[in-house]
Amino acid sequence: MKDVFLLVYRNIKERKARAALTILGIMVGIGAVVALISIGFGMEESITGELVEMADVIMVTPMRMELGSIGAFGSFTDRDLEAVKRIGGVKDAVAMMGTMEEVEYRGEKFMVHVIGTDPKDVGALFGAIVKPEEGRYLKANDHKTCTIGYSIANDYFDDEIGVNDRITINGSKFRVVGVLEKQGGFRSETDSAIYITARDSVSILDNEDISTIFVRVRNIGEAEEIAAEIEKRIDDNHKLDDFTSAMTMGSAIEQMESIFGVLQAVLIAIASISLIVAAMGIMNTILMSVMERTHEIGVMKAIGAKNRNILFLFLLEAGVVSAIGGVCGCIVGVIGAHAISFGIQTLFDVEIAAIVKPEVLLGGVAVAMLVGIISGLYPARKASKMSPVEAVRYE
Amino acid sequence: MIRTENLTKVYRMGEVEVQALREVNLEIQDGEFIAIIGPSGSGKSTLLNMIGCLDTPTSGAVFIDGIDTGKLSENGLAEIRREKIGFIFQQFNLVHTLNALENVALPMFFAGVKRETRLKRAEELLANVGLGNRIYHKPSEMSGGEQQRVAIARALSNDPEIVIGDEPTGNVDTKTGNTIMDILEGLNKEGRTVIVVTHDAEIAARAGRTKRMRDGRVLD
Repeated sequence: MKDVFLLVYRNIKERKARAALTILGIMVGIGAVVALISIGFGMEESITGELVEMADVIMVTPMRMELGSIGAFGSFTDRDLEAVKRIGGVKDAVAMMGTMEEVEYRGEKFMVHVIGTDPKDVGALFGAIVKPEEGRYLKANDHKTCTIGYSIANDYFDDEIGVNDRITINGSKFRVVGVLEKQGGFRSETDSAIYITARDSVSILDNEDISTIFVRVRNIGEAEEIAAEIEKRIDDNHKLDDFTSAMTMGSAIEQMESIFGVLQAVLIAIASISLIVAAMGIMNTILMSVMERTHEIGVMKAIGAKNRNILFLFLLEAGVVSAIGGVCGCIVGVIGAHAISFGIQTLFDVEIAAIVKPEVLLGGVAVAMLVGIISGLYPARKASKMSPVEAVRYE
Repeated sequence: MIRTENLTKVYRMGEVEVQALREVNLEIQDGEFIAIIGPSGSGKSTLLNMIGCLDTPTSGAVFIDGIDTGKLSENGLAEIRREKIGFIFQQFNLVHTLNALENVALPMFFAGVKRETRLKRAEELLANVGLGNRIYHKPSEMSGGEQQRVAIARALSNDPEIVIGDEPTGNVDTKTGNTIMDILEGLNKEGRTVIVVTHDAEIAARAGRTKRMRDGRVLD
């Protein structure tokens, strides 16, 4: 066996440049597939992972996402919130009164999402997830105070905003009591919002429209039933059909997973095209090798090599070249996945860690070898079937 | 014993048929040293390819130790080439990526001989042809005569009964040619059947028997 590898090694070495190009072809193909799969896993994990933390949460919005109906906003009322709180199995519910308001700080002005909430409810619901980095949460009897998202504090304005600084929302001064921890990813909305008490929202901003109700259930198993009940009760309050959308995070996770499944399949299909090109490269390389070595094949046959000896030699050459390509591809794929992850983080400020699974790497090498051996089959058979006398005569 | 019976070979080159061998009847006894001599195109190489099991006849037959080689499969022919026949070519035909030792060991590799055994035997065979100190040289680093001696060592690696030389001295100078003929004579003395094709009368004269060929026929 050692000698066969030696023979194959010498043959590859003799045509270094060609072998290197073939290896490069496979490397690109396998590398692309490995990188895309790893980054796909990372994306799925980072998004569904965040959602899993909130698996017992139901998000209620006054809009059904249906084709052609986008923009048909409405809003909820206090009555809706009370109705939801009365449903059995509901642990907490918090209403969010969100509007876009003009916010001014040291002469700079931006339109920012300002959300009025009940401090007690929001603490019960998100206290464990969204913590203040500096300062404290809003309290029930706070007046003209706010907590601000991480991006509002650090990115929006030229000057950083800290605790006890004052900002102007729609003409009224508010004191900052807390800066929230950076959330990023799926919850990055939190980073660019300002939170005030529900009372201030009504009295100062004159906004009592509830844009979202978040509900936490006692038992995740009942989430779907409770979501249906919420939709029914609010729809009844407004005497409308299909006015309310209550989405459990569980179904959101499922939806995300199926979206990512499709996305990943499409990406892999695209990357596979480069593998097909690489396969043709291998076939071409081995065909050239067979043609160049016709004479040598004849000599080997003349001194007693059987057809299968020759077949094996060329298949092994294809296998070795593609295995090297596969291993290099895996290395490049891992590096590429981390580079993409870094790129996404720098460009979009979203943290997606590439997840490299060992089975993906093993699969990458296996696919490379399979592709190599399959495309080596035709030229290797051609070589093995040569007539010895004609092959020896070939110069 | 090798025997041909009305051995005929026709090559088709496009529209033209070339009669390379016309009903050749020839008997070569075990342990004989025979030279086949004739001008180029006389069919002597074709005859040698038939006897060496590299090619199959259009009609007629070649018997080697009573076996009709025309009835053998490709693998059966490969086995006979490997076990019974050692082939020496005019162009040496060494595998240029392998060194002398590996070239000589190659037929034993195809025969499934163990690595240590075949390398040891290859070394001995190279020493026998006077190349004991050049075993790790590649063909490109050797003279024509040296390459031909490697080829002879390779032909002997599976200890064949029959050694076939197709113009074995055709690509070397006279002195080297004589050395090669000395080696072939030695092989014959060991009891092997040696068949040499040449167009050099002087070389042919060293064989025990000479047959002349012309236009695909063996002359008496």
